[in-house]
Amino acid sequence: MALRRLFTATVYRNCQIRPGYWRADLDLDSSGCEAFSEVQPGQFAELRVSDISLPPAQEVPANLRDLAQRNIILRRPFSFCDVHAGPKGIRIGVLYCVLGPATVRMMSLARGDQVSLIGPLGKGYTVSPEKKYALLLAGGMGAPPLMHLGEYIRARYPEVTPIAFLGARSLEHLPYDVHIDNEKGAYAAEYDRIGVESHIATDDGSIGFRGFVTQCVEQWLKEQAIQPEEAGLYSCGPEVMLAATVALADKYGIACQVSMERMMACGIGLCQSCVVATKGKGETGPYKLCCMDGPVFDGKDVVFE
Amino acid sequence: MSESIDLTVDFAGLKAANPVFTASGTCGYCNELADFMDLSRLGGFITKSITPEARRGNPTPRIVETDSGMLNAIGLANVGVDLFIKEKLPAIAQMNTLVFVNLAGQTMEEYVAVAEKLSLRKEVAGFELNISCPNVKEGGITFGTDPAQIEQITSRVKNAVGGKVLMVKLTPSVTDITATARAAVNGGADALSLVNTFPAMVIDIETRRPILANRSGGLSGPAIKPIAIYLVHRVFTEVAGPGHIPIMGMGGIRTASDALEFLLAGATAVAVGTATFAQPDCAIRIIQGMEEHCRRKGISSIRNLIGGLQ
Ligand SMILES: Cc1cc2nc3c(=O)[nH]c(=O)nc-3n(C[C@H](O)[C@H](O)[C@H](O)COP(=O)(O)OP(=O)(O)OC[C@H]3O[C@@H](n4cnc5c(N)ncnc54)[C@H](O)[C@@H]3O)c2cc1C
Ligand SMILES: Cc1cc2nc3c(=O)[nH]c(=O)nc-3n(C[C@H](O)[C@H](O)[C@H](O)COP(=O)(O)O)c2cc1C
Ligand code: FES
Repeated sequence: MALRRLFTATVYRNCQIRPGYWRADLDLDSSGCEAFSEVQPGQFAELRVSDISLPPAQEVPANLRDLAQRNIILRRPFSFCDVHAGPKGIRIGVLYCVLGPATVRMMSLARGDQVSLIGPLGKGYTVSPEKKYALLLAGGMGAPPLMHLGEYIRARYPEVTPIAFLGARSLEHLPYDVHIDNEKGAYAAEYDRIGVESHIATDDGSIGFRGFVTQCVEQWLKEQAIQPEEAGLYSCGPEVMLAATVALADKYGIACQVSMERMMACGIGLCQSCVVATKGKGETGPYKLCCMDGPVFDGKDVVFE
Repeated sequence: MSESIDLTVDFAGLKAANPVFTASGTCGYCNELADFMDLSRLGGFITKSITPEARRGNPTPRIVETDSGMLNAIGLANVGVDLFIKEKLPAIAQMNTLVFVNLAGQTMEEYVAVAEKLSLRKEVAGFELNISCPNVKEGGITFGTDPAQIEQITSRVKNAVGGKVLMVKLTPSVTDITATARAAVNGGADALSLVNTFPAMVIDIETRRPILANRSGGLSGPAIKPIAIYLVHRVFTEVAGPGHIPIMGMGGIRTASDALEFLLAGATAVAVGTATFAQPDCAIRIIQGMEEHCRRKGISSIRNLIGGLQ
């Protein structure tokens, strides 16, 4: 198995990117750098948040003030939106949505603070180099690992063209710096910066394509007359969206990988809390561990419940 | 160089390098924690519950965090004894610590069947009889609350373990834990372990549903520690007694001080459960902390603390 470690990282920067969405950049210590030297997009880390203090009351979003008072004992799983190796070591980006006691605490992280991490964990995406297009389908907070994947493909697989399809309920729920251009339409600056074309879809049509991100991809597949063997789908987001992605992949005969999310108590295969039902011979196929066998699974193996 | 502290304890005739074990269901089957600690430094290791056949367990969510604790309803998901022997025992043989296999089943025959298959394996130092799981409909806690059934199942399993140590794990969900503890001892238990988790529920106020798919689950973690210490103390003073039946104390242990409280209350050894999730090397830190405590207090052997409550 790939290297995984319990180590310390130092906060380089932590800032809000838009209301409710934050990004922390963490510098890994030498043990972390060693463990992360071969990290794959889609892998994750367990962050210790229990010793991070709550931000001042006035900075806690009003709807979370009640929830934020809860004590924390477990770590929280996060994937990475980018991983950069620099002269001083490896810096990872964690993009997070503030929605509960742990992520409220993370808002108070400041430069120089130390956090404990376990990682990298699980299995990430496997890039198929023979496919011309890597279609990245992100729903809501499924954003981070696909940003990492986009960059990873650009850096290592020049023959593969990644194209991002980014969906959310509405504009406010898109964790990106969204722009509109006369020619390109709506796009995310984060993808633009790494030279990856992006398309935006919102359920309510507040920006970009009106409808689900899977419908947006389907339209694109038809317009471009893509042959099934030319493309691979890489997806992360809410489970209904992943199920729709797998259905779409089936319909067009396209290979598809999905990143699943489960409540995780440990993230390292100790507790059996994070099971994902997979297809087997019988009616009830075997359960696999999201934290060890996943979070990325082959779409055709997963049973969506 | 300061004098070395003797951390060894005698646990029902087994010599443990120190009193700190990892608790069933929180440390995997075998070497899952090897990336984070040297397993041979543990006093001992208790496996996930093993049943005769593989069990899928409950649907998800299987866990939820609560203030100072967590609920789990895993439902005894495990690979089953045959796969355990084939795939996990070889790794256990390399672990170089005392390994207890936790036994579970739906009927007495099922417990006996697992015990028999493992009774001759030298990798296994002893067994922990789980008659206290709150998350399965049959077996588990239904055996664990009735003294007559506890005595019977203990003696039947005792006959199947081939002379290995049998520890019976008690549930805290009884009005009088000394009655269930006494029943286990009468049935031939070599040791007692307590406590298992407390039945509990967490409700999502938005959906007005319980969060766990199983609706309820077992509460573990710091929230239960003072209750567990009280129960260990009662069992120690009223049933087990000094130098008689050793107790494996557990419930909410996170620090060396927590572990020392259990020893003072009468536990000979302790098991670390939920805390390992937050800090995978927690058990090792506790061992170090115990040693420091002894050094600071001028205590030469950790055994001097067992049952030392004034
Ligand atoms: C593999 C993986 C990668 C993830 N990557 C990211 C990421 O890059 N960015 C991001 O914002 N979020 C990510 N998440 C989700 C993130 O872990 C949760 O948002 C976070 O735990 C919420 O904690 P909280 O205390 O703030 O909220 P809580 O009040 O605890 O929960 C809010 C919601 O988050 C979910 N959640 C809570 N605890 C967990 C847990 N231990 N495991 C999984 N889900 C949980 C619950 O379903 C709940 O509805 C990832 C989850 C997984 C499993
Ligand atoms: C996720 C989880 C799974 C568990 N599985 C088992 C099990 O299979 N068999 C068992 O006897 N106890 C099981 N337990 C109970 C623990 O071994 C222990 O008795 C309990 O959690 C109290 O200790 P703690 O507060 O340190 O966790 C489990 C506990 C947790 C949290
Ligand atoms: S989260 Fe504990 S086994 Fe996956």
